[in-house]
Amino acid sequence: MAEVKILDASIRDGNQSLWGATGLSTRQILEIAPVMNRVGFHALDFTSSTAMGVAVRTFREDPWERIRLARAAMPDTRLQLIGTGLRFISWESQHPDFMQLVYDRLVANGVTRFMVLEPTHDMPQALASARMIRKAGGEEIVGALTYTISAVHDDDFYADLAAQFAASPDIDRLYVKDPSGLLLPERARTLIPAIKARIGAMPLELHSHCTIGLAPLTYTIAAELGIEVMHVCCGPLANGSSLPNAVRLVANLRELGHRVDIDDRALARVADYFTRLAKAEGLPAGVPQDYDASFLRHQIAGGIMTTTRRQLAEVKLEHRFDEVVAEIGRVRAELGHPIMVTPFPQIVVSQALYNVIGTERYSNVADQTIRYVLGRFGRPTKPIDPDILDRILSRPRARELMNEGEPMSLADMRKRFAKGISDDEFLLRATMPAEEVDAMLAARPPRRHYNPDLRPVLKLLDELNKRPAVSDLIVEKPDFHLQLRA
Amino acid sequence: MIHRILIANRGEIAVRVIRTCRRLGIETVLAASEADLDSLPARLADAVICLGGPRSPDSYLKVAAVIAAAKMGKADAIHPGYGFLSENRDLALASAAAGIIFIGPTEAQLDAVGDKLKARGHAVAAGLPVVPGGQAATLDEAQDLARSIGWPVLVKAVGGGGGRGMKLVEEPDRLVETLELAVAEAAAAFGDPRVYLERYVASGRHVEVQLLGDGHEVVHLGDRDCSIQRRYQKLVEEAPAPNLADGLRAEMHRAAVAFGRHLGYRGLGTVEFLVDCQRNSFYFLEMNARIQVEHPVTEAICGLDLVAEQIAVAEGRRLAMTQEQIRFSGHAIECRINAEDWTRDFRPSPGTVTVAEFPSGPGIRVDTHMQAGARVPPHYDSLLAKLIVHGTDRAAAIERMGKALALCRIDGVATNTAMHAGLMRAGPFLAGGVDTAYFPKFLSEGASHG
Repeated sequence: MAEVKILDASIRDGNQSLWGATGLSTRQILEIAPVMNRVGFHALDFTSSTAMGVAVRTFREDPWERIRLARAAMPDTRLQLIGTGLRFISWESQHPDFMQLVYDRLVANGVTRFMVLEPTHDMPQALASARMIRKAGGEEIVGALTYTISAVHDDDFYADLAAQFAASPDIDRLYVKDPSGLLLPERARTLIPAIKARIGAMPLELHSHCTIGLAPLTYTIAAELGIEVMHVCCGPLANGSSLPNAVRLVANLRELGHRVDIDDRALARVADYFTRLAKAEGLPAGVPQDYDASFLRHQIAGGIMTTTRRQLAEVKLEHRFDEVVAEIGRVRAELGHPIMVTPFPQIVVSQALYNVIGTERYSNVADQTIRYVLGRFGRPTKPIDPDILDRILSRPRARELMNEGEPMSLADMRKRFAKGISDDEFLLRATMPAEEVDAMLAARPPRRHYNPDLRPVLKLLDELNKRPAVSDLIVEKPDFHLQLRA
Repeated sequence: MIHRILIANRGEIAVRVIRTCRRLGIETVLAASEADLDSLPARLADAVICLGGPRSPDSYLKVAAVIAAAKMGKADAIHPGYGFLSENRDLALASAAAGIIFIGPTEAQLDAVGDKLKARGHAVAAGLPVVPGGQAATLDEAQDLARSIGWPVLVKAVGGGGGRGMKLVEEPDRLVETLELAVAEAAAAFGDPRVYLERYVASGRHVEVQLLGDGHEVVHLGDRDCSIQRRYQKLVEEAPAPNLADGLRAEMHRAAVAFGRHLGYRGLGTVEFLVDCQRNSFYFLEMNARIQVEHPVTEAICGLDLVAEQIAVAEGRRLAMTQEQIRFSGHAIECRINAEDWTRDFRPSPGTVTVAEFPSGPGIRVDTHMQAGARVPPHYDSLLAKLIVHGTDRAAAIERMGKALALCRIDGVATNTAMHAGLMRAGPFLAGGVDTAYFPKFLSEGASHG
């Protein structure tokens, strides 16, 4: 039977899928980091440009320092960043020299594993990113085969992509990235062998979300198909729209006779820590999902579905929801079958909404849709429907957006900021509002420890502090009486 | 990587090691004597294995029992704490033979520093100043040696330590009888009859430098003053050593690191120096190849977890920091709270603790294994708790210690808490930099303090 490794994505993907990427601060990560280092994870999905921005915005914490401190606390476990092509923190595309600096600094601060992700499968762009990462010193570069269901995304399509990746000296491994959790066990049985047949000895990993409850089952089958590393989350950060639960997966794999060499006790400690943290901070725990057959057709994540329904209700058109869902499929096909991961669901759904409630299809088109058509998010997987393309590009707004300049050169960009600031600070200033970076720099350095069990007491003290009128405090329990008087 | 550690120790240091292991996600197995099976560390550890009877030779000093416990507990490493087998070569060798990591220096390094004469030889080779003295083969040689050292001299047992096996000879007439007595006692107490002579420094301070090495690189983590001693047992320690000329401090740091480098030292170690207050110089005394009781004052000023560093090095890791990256801040003091009746010549006071209340708050740390109901067995040392405070400077630390001591309440056994409180108010201590002769003076003059 197979030897399987697990990669934990609790801190990045779990946090992003279930807690809006705002769930974990530096001290909350550092508290459990030494234990995570001992589990025996193949790597940790640790950060992304979004997560780095959130560190600054939400926590006023230096994301570079977070990486350095985590690296020091987890010297045996690779830390991974999931890439975003030519973007870093902000939505603008950056100059390649700028991106090279981003990767250089990531490696220097302690990120050594990178996921090369182009949701449109724009291979020249993906391989260019991989080259930059290798130049920066990235040690494990993983090409993403982003899975979806569409007329064009068949097994041959993925096998071809995999072969292109495998031919690059800058790609070390591949993973099937299934952000919407669409991979059925039966499809895995054809898809994974098709890919493996074209990549030789290159290791293949699996990253499938639990959105409609498929992933836990698909993972157990993937082990026998030769998947070497499976991406999981721990405790409350698993399930829901996140990844499969590590403890359960390990038990299932062993039940089927596979070997998973990890410290089970340490893994249980990690899961327990996140459980206590979620409880203390009032964060929701992922729950196993019901199977939803319609999801395979529209592929719209629950959050976007809910938002769409609310938007329709606001204009008293809730009864046209099914029409919108049908239109989503049509728009997606016309736009060249983009994979339904950020930012494409937002683009497709808003266009479908405009098409349904507007006087005419494509009479109203959002800027992001025009930018997509202009290729700003990469080359679409399949050519955009020529009629739709003409229709969108003939809009006056399209011409304006077409002239949005090329990204500024690194040298010009540097001129915009004070001389003598570090590269790390420059990269934040170049991509974030000045006041947010200033606030981060002015904040006290983060504490290094966090105890979820103290949280209720601290909350009580906080609340008491806000109520100067409260002079007496009495706590009574069986065998316990505490009375404090001002 | 280490996943399960056998702790071959007891009391507060066992609790201390368990705390770091928990933080790191390492499982702990406590090897305890029959007397300690319901102690706090036994309740905190993930598993407990009984080593043997309450007497140390039947349990904590029994190498075979410790190794058997480690095997039974499937531990991949042994943490020996301090005292007991912490610097025992046989345990290091037996661990290696059993394929278990000994969390400490190499067997060769234990050998190099475990024998005072060998350690002294290494110190000389590393360029460290040593107290004038040496070994004498005959009584005549001893007389000559003593003359060249200058009176008075100390006769020290090679196998001794912590003040044991040490005798002061004030005048030439007493040398022969003292030597004979010392040899006989050393043979009986340490199984090693060898003794040597050393200059007696009339006014000396005990200052030590904390080292951390990975077998390749060695850094120092600052110094500690442990001059408050009674019969060579430390009672109060502080970091950094107060009122030490900066040049002297830097020299001691440099010397300690040179000694560590000379040995290619791996693990935590402490180089003890005798500071000659009159000559404003220092001599190498010995090296302790283990974690020290007083390590928390160093942790307080440098912000490192020394047990975690020990484990990291034992796992074969290189040091995570350079000397330049180690920063010191503030001042820290530790008071050892012992179950002793200090008003009655420090008579040990075993028994059952009925109340154990300790202070907490910013800058206060308590390392203890005491709780209400805890038993203090008569078989071991009398350490109940270490009260450690950290302040922005020495005055702030002393003030904080005074307040913290006032909040300590331990009933059921006699303690020396009031003695510490008196010391924190004593003029010479407040001034800082007292010598080792100070504390006995404080006791005799300050009986009224209690």
